[in-house]
Parts: sequence; structure tokens; C-alpha cells
Amino acid sequence: MYRIVIDGSLCSGFGDCADLAPDVFELDSHGKANLRVGTSNDERVLEAADACPMGAIRVEEVQAA
Amino acid sequence: MTHDPTFWLLARASGLTAYLLLTLSVLAGLVVKSRPFGRALKTAAVTDVHRFFALLGLGMLVLHGVALVLDSTVHMPVAALFVPFLSTYRPTAVAFGVLAAELAALITVSFSLRRWIGGRNWRRLHYATFLVFVMGTVHGLTAGTDSAQPWAFSLYLGAVGAVAFATAWRVLGRPTRTRTTTTTPALERSA
Repeated sequence: MYRIVIDGSLCSGFGDCADLAPDVFELDSHGKANLRVGTSNDERVLEAADACPMGAIRVEEVQAA
Repeated sequence: MTHDPTFWLLARASGLTAYLLLTLSVLAGLVVKSRPFGRALKTAAVTDVHRFFALLGLGMLVLHGVALVLDSTVHMPVAALFVPFLSTYRPTAVAFGVLAAELAALITVSFSLRRWIGGRNWRRLHYATFLVFVMGTVHGLTAGTDSAQPWAFSLYLGAVGAVAFATAWRVLGRPTRTRTTTTTPALERSA
């Protein structure tokens, strides 16, 4: 299970995260990335974190409770 | 040995190359979000190219400075590379280059410091790249000894035109703000 954190200050709204993992990320009306969920099992969140040009996405692996 | 032209040639070539690389980096940066090629180019790849050209350009600027110091055509003390107006050769024209290079280095370093200075400040500072480009262009045209040559002038004209065009495209282009992930890809596929 992955816990995802977005640094809202760094997000510049490139939207690659939302393209790669649309179930987890979405762009809000200001064009900034928002989380649809706090945690996910979807491995694409790792790709999304890698793809972010600003490095604004942090993914931590957590033990499922 | 009266006059070895090696470093003079190197200084001119590296200056023009640095300018070309800066221009390419600016162009890559400008198309990251305006996406003139649609989804064919991945953001991560374009930002990689953007950073690569910026770093390569800075490296070329170092070579430009070293070559100028080692050359004997213009007598450039090391300090004149860092302190504006210290150069006896075309002081104002050289000052534009010194300030542009220092600002470019600061902007490049700021990416690594973005967490520390915050995204908003990082973005504000990044706008100063336009100032770097303008100062670099002025420096090239006024300090460069090749500027009167048609090929060199064409290079500057082409660079300014391309950056102006890409900037207009970025500003006037389709608003990325309203793009939502759920609708746009579907629309693009059906189009």
C-alpha cells in the first residue's frame, strides 16, 4: 500500500500524474493536482511520482492496517 | 609566439554555442505546458531536455569565460568574468553577459533549492529567465565580434523570433487550467 503526499506549493499543474494514475490524481479547477484517495495499491503512483517535473509527489510504502 | 588565435576562436564559438543552448533550453521550457505537439511528447522527456540544455549551456559559459581569460586578443582578468563593468573591453556589453550568466546560474541552482525557497518563489525566479535571454541577446550582439556577419545576425534573429513565438503560443494557447483528466483524453481520442 502506498501513501501519497502532494506538495501543493511545488505542483505546477503539469498533469502527468493525473494522466498516469487517473484513479489517484486529478487536477482541480486551479489546475493543481489533488488526491482522490490518500492511499493506493496502484503501482502507477510510483510512475506518477517519477514523472512529476517538479518532484512534488512523495510516495511512501506503508503496511496495510 | 606572437598571437595564438586558438582561445579567441574558442571564446567566440563557445559564446555562440552557449547562446544557442540557452535558446533551446528556453524553447523546451516554453513548450512543456503549451504542448504544441500534443501528447506525443511526454512532459518528463521535455523537462529532461530543458534541464539538459540549460546545464550544457552553463558548461559552455564556463568554457567561454576560461577561453576569454586565456586569450590575448582581449585582456580579460578573471575578476571581470564575475564583476560587471570590470572589463576594459566593451565594459557595458560584457556586463550584460556577466549578469546574464550569474542570473542563469542562480535560476539553474534554484531548482535544487525549490523545496527550501518554496514553489511560488521558484516560479517567480524562473520568470527571470526572460531577462537572462534578453541580456544574453544584447551581450551577444554588442560584445560579439561576429554580430555583423549575416550568419551570426541570423542566429540572433532566429533565436529571438523563436522564443517570442513560443512565448506567445504559451500565453495565448489553449488554457491548461480547465483541462480535467477525465474529459480531455477522451476528447482527444475522439477528435
